[in-house]
Amino acid sequence: MTEKITIALAGNPNVGKTSIFNSITGSKQHVGNWPGVTVERKIGKKVHNDVMMEIVDLPGTYSLTAYSLDEIIARDFIIEEKPDVVVQVIDATNLERNMYLTTQLMELGVRLVIALNMTDLALAKGDNINEKKMQEFLEVPVISTIGSKGTGIEGLLDAVTEELHKTRVTENVFNYDNQIEERAEKLGVVLDSDPYFAHYPSRWFSLKLLEGDENIIKKAKESGSYPEIQKILNETDAEILEAKVADQRYKTIQTMLRQVCNINTCRLTGSDMVDRVVTNKVLGIPIFLSLMWAAFEITFTFATPFMNMIDIFFGWMAETATTVIPVPWMASLVGEGMIAGVGSVIIFLPNILLLFFMISLMEDSGYMARAAFIMDKIMSKVGLHGKSFIPLVMGFGCNVPAIMATRTIEDTRDRLITILITPFMSCGARLPVYVLLAGAFFGRDAGVVIFSLYALGILVAVVSAKLMRSTILKGEDTPFIMELPSYKIPTLRGSLIHMWERGKIYLKKAGTIILIGVVGVWLLASIPAPGSSGTFASEEIYGTTESMIGMIGQALEPLVTPLGFDWKIAVALVFGVVAKEIVVGSMGVLYGVGDNEENLSNILAAGAMTPLAALGLMVFTLLYVPCFACIGVIKRETGSWKWTLFQLAYGTTLAWVFAFVIYQVGTRMGLLA
Amino acid sequence: MKRSYGSKEMAFAALAGVLYAFFGLLHIVEGLGIDTGMAGLLFIPGDILGGFCLVVIGAVFLNGLREMLQGINAGVSFVYVGILMSLIFAAVYLLIMGGNLLDSLIVPDDYEGWNVMETFRPGIYLGLISLFGIFHWKDKFSLNEVLVFREGA
Amino acid sequence: MNEKTLDFIEPETSVKVLKVTGRKSSRKRILDMGLTPGTRVDVIKRAPLGDPVEFKLKGYNLSLRKKEAETVLVEIVK
Repeated sequence: MTEKITIALAGNPNVGKTSIFNSITGSKQHVGNWPGVTVERKIGKKVHNDVMMEIVDLPGTYSLTAYSLDEIIARDFIIEEKPDVVVQVIDATNLERNMYLTTQLMELGVRLVIALNMTDLALAKGDNINEKKMQEFLEVPVISTIGSKGTGIEGLLDAVTEELHKTRVTENVFNYDNQIEERAEKLGVVLDSDPYFAHYPSRWFSLKLLEGDENIIKKAKESGSYPEIQKILNETDAEILEAKVADQRYKTIQTMLRQVCNINTCRLTGSDMVDRVVTNKVLGIPIFLSLMWAAFEITFTFATPFMNMIDIFFGWMAETATTVIPVPWMASLVGEGMIAGVGSVIIFLPNILLLFFMISLMEDSGYMARAAFIMDKIMSKVGLHGKSFIPLVMGFGCNVPAIMATRTIEDTRDRLITILITPFMSCGARLPVYVLLAGAFFGRDAGVVIFSLYALGILVAVVSAKLMRSTILKGEDTPFIMELPSYKIPTLRGSLIHMWERGKIYLKKAGTIILIGVVGVWLLASIPAPGSSGTFASEEIYGTTESMIGMIGQALEPLVTPLGFDWKIAVALVFGVVAKEIVVGSMGVLYGVGDNEENLSNILAAGAMTPLAALGLMVFTLLYVPCFACIGVIKRETGSWKWTLFQLAYGTTLAWVFAFVIYQVGTRMGLLA
Repeated sequence: MKRSYGSKEMAFAALAGVLYAFFGLLHIVEGLGIDTGMAGLLFIPGDILGGFCLVVIGAVFLNGLREMLQGINAGVSFVYVGILMSLIFAAVYLLIMGGNLLDSLIVPDDYEGWNVMETFRPGIYLGLISLFGIFHWKDKFSLNEVLVFREGA
Repeated sequence: MNEKTLDFIEPETSVKVLKVTGRKSSRKRILDMGLTPGTRVDVIKRAPLGDPVEFKLKGYNLSLRKKEAETVLVEIVK
């Protein structure tokens, strides 16, 4: 009979936790979210020594205070779910700060196993660590590992299964000074007498209370014994105690480190040398921009053949389906609705895979933190974090991978704002609309017009970010306290796994929403309008006034008339929600010129539209509801329909107001007449 | 520990720096629509952004040279990062070239009269210089998951 | 005493932490990251645009915005 256990994988960020996780579980992992929040949760399975292990990857944290959502998740998991063993991954090149988390895990009284990771790097750096002594000192198994190569994983799992059958709770390894110990003891007595706290390790809870941990104090307030607790807490100044607790933890660590290892300091490391260049005062920003250009080229230019392949394949499938299926409406549903719909989801896969491969390279190498370091000054001006810059730039290629790239931003509020403003970055699919309209109406000045549209997008994004920061998403600025990890050579395996996970998430979660949307639009374009004599899904009525969508277009006409648009434009804009580039195609159908773009631009320029209305239409296309794929990922990444709908409503309102002002004010002033 | 870097590193930085900066400028000049007369011969496209990137690589090398001339030992780190960047860009250009080739097979209609050398770029052949560099100094890089620069190697 | 706040320290200077002030959440975090009183911190450099600033302490590199560095009281050591 096999035993079933849960293992939590804890550790600081950038310690190679993911590579250890990958080495243990291989491809058997499931990526989801922690309940109620959009912080990622990875779970993997592994059978070792007849024990069925479920490994839960906790968010990377430096500490277990209530500082960030990540830390609260990690600590709540340990306290509430009580994993059988906690494995802490420690960066052997950076023991002192890593052990700070160890002290807190030990105080929680969990069964702990330490994976001393990257021991090869420590050795290369000239550090000498005695694991045996460390193990004796901590009374916890210490196993040295090299996650990137999979070394030491067997030993680690052996240690975990061994630990399982030991009963040990050494909460008292770390001692504080008399003042703290006395108070902790007093609090402990109170806590032990109240069944409300039976759930928590009492020494840990007392220490957290003394440290003034807000989350813990809130929990204590709900108990009957809070007045008593408060009395003890009021005896001392929390601010002094808080510094003392941190200080004494570090002192204990230092005492231990002096006994167990020899650390080579005072030397210019490889990382320092690379940093001298890439964060150089003059060259830092140009280097960053060059690398962004390279990443952009790979994500979008290199992806072209793969996207064409997908396009051709689905075109062929749709065509085959239409000819093979004898019932016309069914052929249309399968061909134009479903297959084309699936195609519109998969077409972005090359972009997403490539962008995430590159982001993974940047993160794993340590460059991402430098990019944030370099760009932070600019981003902080609009109340965002340096890390918001990369998703925003990628938005110029395609908003879909860009929004998924916001996962690298730790702070939830910064991340939400970045997601909400990314759709204003003018993506590649909007360009055909600009090219057609600007070409038809502005001739030689088309370039200037198109450039201005991109600039307007950036301006709207910046102003919106500032606006949201000071209204609906108000709050204190998140403090910027970021580690600049040592550079490492990323592993191909790690990057490929990361890339594949993203692709899977996109196809699974965002895919369903996109499909429903696409098929919905097909239905609207195919169902005959009430009173129409056309048949369902026949070519004669598809997307015309005879169809539901045409009726909707006509119903919307009063709304868009002030913008100088007619119902045909309204219909084209509805189609544009499927994918922005469709706006041009459907205008062609509606104006009766098919896919001949030259005829379309002639008709438009000949008077179907005024130049001001055309300008308004371009601005409208830039700002209104993004495409279904984009809506899908906004929903997926914000985890909330409320914010998704907010983005749609906000963007569309802005689009309407801008187009209105352009058309009305322009006409009054006789501009471009 | 005091030691100055030899003339080899400096000569390499000077050569690579001047070449990258020069070719980058050519890209930019062509991109501005001015015919340099060298576009065909050296496969130089009119590409302002791409040119900017090459100029940046050139500047990294030249700054390394400047520091080494001033006797700052750590100046050699610019040479190493320069090598790394030029290899990254060579790889990017090669991938794009491959991508175009693939695309020309998939949608041949868009590629009538096109040949693959049209996407051959200076970034690719300039990268060979760095390949030579990395080969020459390979014992100084330990690509053992972290960049460790051995002093005195 | 030569008390200064960390944001005023020029690059390539070493300091010793005296006290961390400031808002509770950031104060706690700064302490957790190892800027406890008595810790030696080397100021490495400022970002190309002048902010944030990079420090080295306890064998690793940390960056703080000037706004956060302002809350750390230090004294210069030789």
